[in-house]
Amino acid sequence: MSKDCGKLDESGAAEIRSDGMYPVKLNKIINLFESLPEDERRETLVSYADNAKKQEPREGENFNLVDVRKDEECMDTVGVYLHVDENGKAHIRMTLGPEVQTLTRAMTAVLCKGLESCTPQEILDLPSDFVTRIVGAELVRIRSQTIYYVLTRIKSICKVYLDRQRMAQVA
Amino acid sequence: MSTHPTQYAHPEALVETDWLEKHLNDEGIRIVESNEDVLLYDTWHIPGAVHIDWRADLQDPVIRDYITPEKFAELCSKNGITPETTCIFYGDKANWWACYALWAFRLFGHEKVKILNGGRDKWKAEQRPMTRDVPKYPKANYPMPKKRFDKEIRAFADEALAQSKADKPLIDVRSPGEYKGEITHMPEYPQEGVLRGGHIPKAKSMPWKTATKDDATFKPASELAKIYFDQCGVKPDTDTVVYCRIGERSSHTWFVLTYLLGLDNVRNYDGSWTEWGNKVGAPIEKGA
Repeated sequence: MSKDCGKLDESGAAEIRSDGMYPVKLNKIINLFESLPEDERRETLVSYADNAKKQEPREGENFNLVDVRKDEECMDTVGVYLHVDENGKAHIRMTLGPEVQTLTRAMTAVLCKGLESCTPQEILDLPSDFVTRIVGAELVRIRSQTIYYVLTRIKSICKVYLDRQRMAQVA
Repeated sequence: MSTHPTQYAHPEALVETDWLEKHLNDEGIRIVESNEDVLLYDTWHIPGAVHIDWRADLQDPVIRDYITPEKFAELCSKNGITPETTCIFYGDKANWWACYALWAFRLFGHEKVKILNGGRDKWKAEQRPMTRDVPKYPKANYPMPKKRFDKEIRAFADEALAQSKADKPLIDVRSPGEYKGEITHMPEYPQEGVLRGGHIPKAKSMPWKTATKDDATFKPASELAKIYFDQCGVKPDTDTVVYCRIGERSSHTWFVLTYLLGLDNVRNYDGSWTEWGNKVGAPIEKGA
């Protein structure tokens, strides 16, 4: 993870580094989940899942990249919308089809909030081991591998963005 | 099979959504939700329903097997269930896991079991009552079952092989792509968990969904009879083995054959393709 993650951005809105591993906002969410007993962890996950709809694109927003597709890792269509602002900070929005499972919805809200204002490179460099710390071992199962899916999709759009940036620089 | 029934063999094994809404508070029933989506119960459930998780509650955490009779008695007691309680199962995915839980309850000899026809999706589509309140029931005293009915309703790999060799009805209820060996998991799921694709030799393909209508309710008895008696060669006087990938879709078919068509010699091979496809020495066939 880039150490630049520790700086405040120019607007002063986003402090995004804590222990060098995870962005501050994400780290707070991880710490919150790890402090919760199992029943409260479930409640909190459901609460995040309820908020997934708030992560959808809002009227008037523009995006550098949009990736809406349905593939076999997930039960329904998932859309990822990336806007990178003038300071190089990423802002992610997402849309989820009705068949998307509750844990995937929860992870959508967690990641959109936790990664807000990280750079695309910071998102790409993020290790995925925090997912189980949020979800908890009890809920991680063979058929819940899709908990990693949203992170994979977000990383994927960031990679495309960075690749295109590099190509533009070369050209 | 020339005679097709016009009615389900055990119509009492199904309850309809309108009936259940009127009987939510009946004494002697327990509504049980069982899903694939592990957090779905927490988002809403039928008022009064308890949650039984197919993995955390019904499976042994160490051995690939079901819980012990002692643990089953504990599970029921915790949910206020006695041997006299009528358990009405429902869930997501057209009741796959509801049928799986029902089958597991039968494995321990619990006799009073029913399925909510159409499951969770139908209940929601009809805008019937939903809640997030988790009910609390007085602890019951469920006696430890004296036996598990593995021999009667469960098949193991060697028995599935014997079924194949004897040319007896063996039904693969997975999707056509899984049966042919083109994929190793359902369409739309990560392809994981098994080394080889295909099916058990001589197994007939009849996807579980063939037994349901678009709203996830079961087809009429006459249609089910045509599907399973005529097309699959199932016979009332011959034992039948059904399997899928991990045993939940085949529980759905097991329910159809046992309760709706009235066969009393159907076994669910719950080890299914995740065992067979990985098993050393197990023969497979590919293609249609």
